[in-house]
Amino acid sequence: MTSLIIVSVLAVAVLYLGLFKYKTALLPVSVTGLLAAAAMAAMDWDLEKMYFSEMMLFDNYAVAFSILLILTTLLIFGLSRNYFEKISNNVAEYYALMLFALAGGVVMVSFHNLAMLFIGIEILSISLYVLAGIRRKDPASNEASLKYFLMGAFATGFLLFGTALIYGATGSFNLAAIASSGAFESALFRAGVLLMMVGLSFKVSVAPFHTWTPDVYEGSPGLIAMFMATVVKTAGFAAFLRLFLMAFAEASAFWAITVAILCILTLFAGNITAVFQDRFKRLLAWSSVSHAGYLLLAILAVGFSASSAVLVYTIAYSLASVAAFGIMILVSRARGNDHLDSFNGLARTNPFLAFTLTLAVCSLAGIPLTAGFFGKFYVFKVALAQGYTWLVVLAVINAMIGIYYYFKVIIAMYMKENANAVAIQLNPGFRLVLSIVVFLIFLFGIFPGLIANIL
Amino acid sequence: MTLWLIPALPYLGALILILAGSKLSKQMAGIIGCGSMGLSALWTGVTGIAFLSGGREPVRLQLWEWFDVAGWNPGVTLYFDSLSLVFTFVITFVGFLIHVYSTGYMARDEGFNRFFAYLNLFVGSMLMLVLADNLLLLYLGWEGVGLCSYLLIGFWYQDPANGAAARKAFIVTRIGDTAFAIGLFMLFQTLGTLNIGAILAEAGSALSGDGAASWPGGPAGATAIALLLVGGAVGKSAQIPLQTWLPDAMAGPTPVSALIHAATMVTAGVYLIARMHGIFELSPVSMQVVSLIGTITLLVAGCSALCQSDLKRVLAYSTISQIGYMFLALGLGAWSAAIFHFFTHAFFKALLFLGAGAIIESLHHEQNIFRMGGLRKELPVVFITFLIGSASLAALPLVTAGFFSKDQILWMAFAGEHGSLGLWIAASVGAFLTALYTFRMVFVTFWGETKTPVTHRPGKAMTIPLIILALFSLLAGFIEVPHNLGHITLFSSFLASVLPSPELITDSLLMEWMSQAAAALLTLGGIGLAYEYYVRNPQSLAGMKRNTGALQRFFHSGFGFDRLYDSLLIQPYTWLARVNRRDITDSLYTGLARFSIWLHRQSAQTQTGILRHYLLGAAIGALIILTISIFI
Repeated sequence: MTSLIIVSVLAVAVLYLGLFKYKTALLPVSVTGLLAAAAMAAMDWDLEKMYFSEMMLFDNYAVAFSILLILTTLLIFGLSRNYFEKISNNVAEYYALMLFALAGGVVMVSFHNLAMLFIGIEILSISLYVLAGIRRKDPASNEASLKYFLMGAFATGFLLFGTALIYGATGSFNLAAIASSGAFESALFRAGVLLMMVGLSFKVSVAPFHTWTPDVYEGSPGLIAMFMATVVKTAGFAAFLRLFLMAFAEASAFWAITVAILCILTLFAGNITAVFQDRFKRLLAWSSVSHAGYLLLAILAVGFSASSAVLVYTIAYSLASVAAFGIMILVSRARGNDHLDSFNGLARTNPFLAFTLTLAVCSLAGIPLTAGFFGKFYVFKVALAQGYTWLVVLAVINAMIGIYYYFKVIIAMYMKENANAVAIQLNPGFRLVLSIVVFLIFLFGIFPGLIANIL
Repeated sequence: MTLWLIPALPYLGALILILAGSKLSKQMAGIIGCGSMGLSALWTGVTGIAFLSGGREPVRLQLWEWFDVAGWNPGVTLYFDSLSLVFTFVITFVGFLIHVYSTGYMARDEGFNRFFAYLNLFVGSMLMLVLADNLLLLYLGWEGVGLCSYLLIGFWYQDPANGAAARKAFIVTRIGDTAFAIGLFMLFQTLGTLNIGAILAEAGSALSGDGAASWPGGPAGATAIALLLVGGAVGKSAQIPLQTWLPDAMAGPTPVSALIHAATMVTAGVYLIARMHGIFELSPVSMQVVSLIGTITLLVAGCSALCQSDLKRVLAYSTISQIGYMFLALGLGAWSAAIFHFFTHAFFKALLFLGAGAIIESLHHEQNIFRMGGLRKELPVVFITFLIGSASLAALPLVTAGFFSKDQILWMAFAGEHGSLGLWIAASVGAFLTALYTFRMVFVTFWGETKTPVTHRPGKAMTIPLIILALFSLLAGFIEVPHNLGHITLFSSFLASVLPSPELITDSLLMEWMSQAAAALLTLGGIGLAYEYYVRNPQSLAGMKRNTGALQRFFHSGFGFDRLYDSLLIQPYTWLARVNRRDITDSLYTGLARFSIWLHRQSAQTQTGILRHYLLGAAIGALIILTISIFI
């Protein structure tokens, strides 16, 4: 709880810093604040505290995901030095909005009441609508913002309608009360579950509600897209799983088949469409759709092993995405665009970047010795334990397809030449963040036990 | 316990040479290569003396746990007993001599450093093989020596023929390795462990109980495992039907032939069978198979050696033939006799190969014995040592090591519990052939007139190892002397704690004398015949060539095994590969790719960028989800 307060206060403080033109203080203050928030969250470990008449529950699940969200934001901030200055005069807005979004994310992973879930999602989403359109003079950015906003509003409708129906069926917003209401057979309840599922599917870009994803990622600034792919996706899935784990687990026989169908749709939609993308950012957007499909596999296996699998997966995915988006930003800034051809010859000019990106896409593809391998491994394992063998077979086929498009960028970097390529300059923040990411991808790829046994 | 130093030192040397090889001078590389081997040999000596002067208790040293999966946790564990000691001693000691020799032999080669890196890696793997406590680790060493053998045969890789020989060796031994691996799987399935001690204990308790019937896998299981292990041994030790790689393996540098294809690696099969003797004792059939393979091999290879004109190929076939003797002894249950023959053979065969290397180098890489001749006076040291090695190979009675070890096998073939008159006759004919081809080689090479001038004489680095090995070829036999000639059993009693001694069905002193006399006569007869044809009366050869030309060509080709395998296996396989050029199994993947492309076209149409379409799609999706739930 303290961490949530710190993040919120930090956001306000950053706004004031912007107001008084202390631009140089923005980053240090944000980083210090986030570190403090992460430390405070860690202090809540094993306390299982309820807040505000059972509206929020800081259990280990909430703590683990909060820390993950905070640390991912920290990594993104590490890359943001000199980034926002180039596209806007009001740098403080970025930090403040991202911190507000983060606060929403923390609420989303620690809610114990449907109202808090809704509030968390809205805090997160509204910040993002603004962030997506923050390049005010860029039509693409405006389009992304508007699309995101309209689609988001549409989804919120579903979510709220579902919440209302569930309240109607059970008479409560409290997750524990819903779980023990015994109203699972009523049509009202079932419709409510499905509508909430649709609403949440929008947020985490599960097919067929994913269509906004590539357009919004493409139009948003690179760092914001990175934030969406990592923090927002993690928070969304953690909320999705938390809701279905704590409130709807007893009714899993009823909604499991729907989730399975969504899972297949998402896997194929994401992977197949990514195959022929020739812009790296769009490719990553589609790949983020496909990763939602793998994560849905874990939702099928309700239980603590599922939380653990989702945690491992989101850690691996966030790390790899930070590296992939980060290098995409560098390359598109240096070479004009994020077309795959722009990556030609990167191995020669910037071996470190090429290696890091190779490692990142290997992790996204699930190649062993990277964290991503164990992400997929645990997700497949929990799905198999629930008897979804056929689903895992399809998922493995999709993972094979995934290797094809992930390796396109490796081929571009290592096997294609670019005569006029000059080395890309890295600032210390980038160097530090990318080094940390490389280290962690290897660390968790070789010693998965470090993160697999947290929950 | 510092047992681990024995394999670790060569590995360390290999590591240094691999990592820093390009920066080191040849002298430095030689010092590292020989030094690490020398220290390893020294340490083997120290460990051996400690072992002998102590209680001769086997030592088990767990270095670390390799992995732990589903209750199975094989360790990287070394095991040291008298059998390991014999092998370790031969590997490090002969290996060290060959290393020293190589500094002279390879001195002008560009790949000097690479050569020593491979050689060290090989010795390390071989030591791992004989010191392994479990079969998995043994298999690691087994594959390691296979890899190094491939690297060393193809050492001069610029010549495609050498590459082909290397691949042949690798693939043919791989057939045996596969059998071995399946044998390991079956063993693990039966017992749930690959620990050698545990397996032998299980086999021992089965043997002292109702025999193979009380073995967990039944008699058929025991036989299957034993035969699969034989499959591995046959491949590595170049026995029929997987012997074809060894003659071609002579493409490698000569010290490699000495080290790998004579003294150590090819005896890995002998080690495996001796080490796993408990399994074989459970299965009389497999014992018979082993002795039969050995007998056929020693005769076939002996005949083939008779008709070779390449000095190294004569020695290659003689290696196959001598290992045939070891297999014969193993099949007879004369475990220690087999190891004893390995022991003496390692010295005289390394000596012969190194001598051959010295000759070949002196004659500017001439390998055809018929273009040599008269080297007696030109290369005196090489001549005397080579003669000693040949005498030992031919088992010249009483004075050579080879006599004592071969005599033991012959006697066991006759008087052992599994022996028979047929096996004795075959082994004796083999002894005659051995003497004949060995001295044919000696007489053609060293007598007669000089045909190729000597361009360059071997230095001290090459002659000193020859002299040391020659001494061992003469003296190593006296540690085990038959009881009618002095009765020394140092070697067999040393091994008795590991390997059971066979029972004799007859211990008639007269028969033993007669057997020895027959063998001695056959040996002398072979030498005499060679002298008659190749020194005194060479003209008679021409007539014999006319009459038996076809047979000689047949022998020369190694009984046509290569041609047989070519038409039986290689041709059909390449045909199949040609037919299946567009790989059928690939169609799964190309199908997946086509499916992806098709599906992508469909899904690409959904990326219109128009918000109306997106919202419509989402609404339809939500509607479908709700509809599905009605039917559940």
